[in-house]
Parts: sequence; C-alpha cells; structure tokens
Amino acid sequence: MSAVVGAGRQWRLCTVLGLLVLAAAVISLLLGRSSGGPTLGFGGPEIGDVILREIRLPRTLLALLVGGTLGLCGAALQGLLRNPLAEPGLLGASSGAALGAVLVFYFGLAGGESLLLPLGAVAGSLLSLALLYALAGKTSDILTVVLAGIAINAFTAALTSLVLNFAPSPYAALEILFWMLGSLADRSLVHVWLALPLMIPGWLLVIAAARGLDALTLGEETAASLGFNPGRTQWLVVTGTALAVGGAVAVTGVVGFVGLVVPHLLRPWVGHHPSRLLLPSFLGGALLATLADSAIRLMPPGPELKLGVVTALLGAPFFLRLVISSRNAAAN
Amino acid sequence: MALVTDAVEVRYGARCAVHATSLTLGPSGFIALVGPNGAGKSSLLKALAGLASHTGTITWQGRALAALAARDRARAIAYLAQASTVHWPLSARDVVTLGRLAHGRYGVAPTAGDREAVEWALAQTATMGFAERSVAALSIGERARVLLARALAVRAPVLLVDEPIAMLDPYHQLEIMGVLARYARGATGGAPALVVAVLHDLTLAARFCGRVLLMNDGRVVEDGTPAAALSAENVRRYYHVEPFVTQHEGEPVIVPWRSPGVDAAQAQS
Repeated sequence: MSAVVGAGRQWRLCTVLGLLVLAAAVISLLLGRSSGGPTLGFGGPEIGDVILREIRLPRTLLALLVGGTLGLCGAALQGLLRNPLAEPGLLGASSGAALGAVLVFYFGLAGGESLLLPLGAVAGSLLSLALLYALAGKTSDILTVVLAGIAINAFTAALTSLVLNFAPSPYAALEILFWMLGSLADRSLVHVWLALPLMIPGWLLVIAAARGLDALTLGEETAASLGFNPGRTQWLVVTGTALAVGGAVAVTGVVGFVGLVVPHLLRPWVGHHPSRLLLPSFLGGALLATLADSAIRLMPPGPELKLGVVTALLGAPFFLRLVISSRNAAAN
Repeated sequence: MALVTDAVEVRYGARCAVHATSLTLGPSGFIALVGPNGAGKSSLLKALAGLASHTGTITWQGRALAALAARDRARAIAYLAQASTVHWPLSARDVVTLGRLAHGRYGVAPTAGDREAVEWALAQTATMGFAERSVAALSIGERARVLLARALAVRAPVLLVDEPIAMLDPYHQLEIMGVLARYARGATGGAPALVVAVLHDLTLAARFCGRVLLMNDGRVVEDGTPAAALSAENVRRYYHVEPFVTQHEGEPVIVPWRSPGVDAAQAQS
C-alpha cells in the first residue's frame, strides 16, 4: 500500500523536520553577534531577558515564519504550474512589495520605529495582486497568469530602478539596496504581528488547495472530471501566495531561492505527491531560513551578511545542479 | 434513468464541433463512439462528462448535469481523457488512488473502501505487477492502462473513455475491451454501468459493443447495432476507405482495406 506507506512516510518526514526546526530555533535563540564576532548565550541575567525578547526572539520567529511561508508557497506554486522551476516571486507579489517599501524609503519615511516601511510593502504586494487579476482576469489559463506575473515583475523592477535613479543621496540608494537584499536583523515583535495577519490567511488559502493540486497532477480536464475546478484551485494558490509572500517581503525584504530549493529537495521524500509536499516544505523552508540566519551570525567580524545574499549563494549552485541533472536526464 | 442529451451543441468560437445532438444513452451498456478524425467524438464525450461548455441540456437520472454539484457529477461520471499525461512521477498505485478524489474521502489515509477500489482497478487492468513503480518509468502502453485503472477506480455508474486502447498492443487491446464490456455488464463486481468509448478499431467496436454511434462532421449520422452502423456502405461513405468485411467464429471483422486515392467527388463531400 504505497499510498499508506507514502502518508506514513510523510508524517515521519514531518516529525524529523519538526525536530530539526526546533533545534535550529534553539540555536538561533542562543547565537548572538557583537562587534567582536559571534557570541553564545545572553550575557548576564539582567540584559539577557531583553536580548532574548527584543532581539533574538523576533529574529528567530521571523526566520521560521518567512522561511515556512516561502517553502509552502513554493511547493504550492510548483504543484499548480506542474513545474519544479516555479517559485513565490513568479507572480509579482515579492517585487510589488519591494517597490512599495522602496517608495517609503524614497520619501524618507522609513526612519526609526516607523511602520510605514512594512505597510508600504504590504500595500505594494496587494496592489500587484490586484494588477495580476486585472491583467489575467478570470481566465483559468495558467499561462496567461504566469505571463501577467512576469509583466508585473518587469514593470515593478523598472519602477524600483527608477526610484533608485532618483534617490536623494547615494546613502539613500545604498539603504534601499541593502533593504532589498533581505535581512532579519533589527526586527521586533511588531514586525511579527504585522506579517502574521497576511501570512495566516495566505497559508490557509494555499492549504485549502491541497487536494485540487493532487487532482491537477492528471491535467486540468481530469481534475475537473474529479470534481475540482482548476480555476478555483488556481485562485486559492495565487491569492494565498500573494498574501503570505507579500507579508514576508514586507518585514524581511526579498529572500530568494528558499521557495524554489526546499520543495524540490523534499519532493522525492513524499513520492512526488503535491499535497503531501506542502507541510514538509513549510518545515523545510523554516529550517533553511533559520539555519542560514544563524550562519550569518557565525561569520567573522565585519559587516553582517544579508539573509537574501546567503540563501542566493546557497541556492544558485543548487539551481545549477538542477539544470545539469535535468540536462543529463534529457540526454539519456 | 439514463444519460440523455437534448439538442446539445458544442462550439469552439465560430467553429461548431457538435451540432444539435439528442441521444438517450444507457442506463447501462457498452457503446462505441466512432467516426473519422475531427468528427466531434471527443467534443461530444467531453460535453457528456460536463467538461465542455455547450448549449442544450444533458440530464443524468432525470437531473440536469449543469445543476449537479461538481462532487456529485464526479462520482456519477468518470472520464478518461485522450492521451492524458501524469505531471509528476507518482507511483502507479498513487495515480490510480487519485481516482478516489472524486469521493472526497481521499486524504492522508485512504479508507478501506478506497483501497479496495484501487486494488480492484489495478487487478482489472493487470497493472498490479508495476503498481509501486513510478509512472515515468513505465512504457506508454503500461501508463495507458494505469490511467484507465485511475478512471475505473472512481467506480462511477457512467464511464466515458477517449481512445482507451489506442496505445496498447493487440493482447492488451483485447483484454481492456473485455474489461470495459464486463464493467458495463456489471460482471466485475458492481452494478451494470454505462460505458461510452471513443474507438478507431472498427472490428473491436463491432465485437465488444452493443451499440455504435457513428459521427461525421459534428453529427451522429448512424446509431444502432454494430452490424447496421458499421455496414460496408457506411464505412465507405464516412471513412472514405474500402473495407474488407467478413465473419470469423460468428463475429464481424471490419478491416479498412484500401483508400480510394484522390477522388474529386469524395473530397468535396
């Protein structure tokens, strides 16, 4: 009964991943970084509480939430498009959020404790979602949706470059660029509360599409004959991804490759089943983001590496390997 | 208690694929849907499955198909698309299990009923031997049988299959036609069912099916027993081939024998 074995394997995989996530979260809570390089523990009972609550906890929580969101949405999008190259940035939600944040920077409103930056990003991601629907309409043709996403990506990237071009000072431009690299440093619990109201509905929408994704394995017609409207599945995944990823980008900037790499690595472990891939990908994404963010704090003294840079450095060689192995498979 | 179409018309833009068609199918039996390429067979089958937008009405057991909830329709009518693909390299058994999605119980752990239906479908199509193998590693014929097993696993009272034997070798063509005929008779452990199959092999259609619908140019032009619908004259007229028609062991043999070549009069018809 591989269907049963597969399901059992999924829960074993989830248990293992869950334990690893827990371990990574503990490491992330324990690891600090000062001007002298990495530190361990909290440095004294008085200040320790503050460090844990104000600095490490938000950072760890955001790594888990953002990584999980990217993994989950990547798995769902790959299932929807039936293509292992799909990733959450594909639909334009990330670049829309980035543009929204960049505009806040440009008008000099991003200073200090201001919440305008994440709010601008949320507005940007929702606007790009609205634009996606305006462009693609209610079509159930997935190609149209992807093309609309590419168009939005290109357009928002152009606008972001325009804003950079007109940046009031080189320092402002640098600040914008740094933000776009994606980072979890200097975040507070407020950022967590800001992202969650977008992430949770996004997750729920994506998870509601799970069985529809399984049905889509056999193509849109067969999915419809099994009682699953492909248009509805698509709406659930696209909207859910835009909401959750918009929320993630709003608080951390653009973190790439997690949503591409994690589902791809875990897929063979769940028998290539689209619905069984969702939860493991959430856990795997949370694990990867937390470990990457912990690794950043282990680096020797100097300017802190950005999370987006680290995930891209890890992800790009992986992507290369993917291309080479699929080329070899095609040659055989 | 049958699948009834009333003036069903399928259009793709300006092109009319199926002209107003009124038929009463079933409640059970094995019906062949035959005709030359582009005659509208697949379009009519999709309309029957509720997958093609159309005018006119289709009713199943007295209820309009359009008014049925998607889940109820999925349980009543199983559909196997022509040359369908599997987009992820699932195991053959997992693919067959996808058919149980129609019953809305398939999730983390399939029920005993789901498992029983899957085992039964695997056994019927003789795909048990490679049930654990990835469908990506199967031959085209093996994959076609796995996909038919997927449709069978729905265990629907109506089974609509588009060219189920086109990819199979002669042995498996005979086997699968036998399975479909037994499923229609209710001889595979369920109630009698309505099976409509798009076929190109006229001998197998005539031997295994009780009724033949011959389509041409978007219309059902012949509807009757195999002997009447697939007469030499009809084959000549609609397929534009000279058939060799004979009998073997009391059953019809219809072999397309010779194409008449370019014939101006026929090219215009």
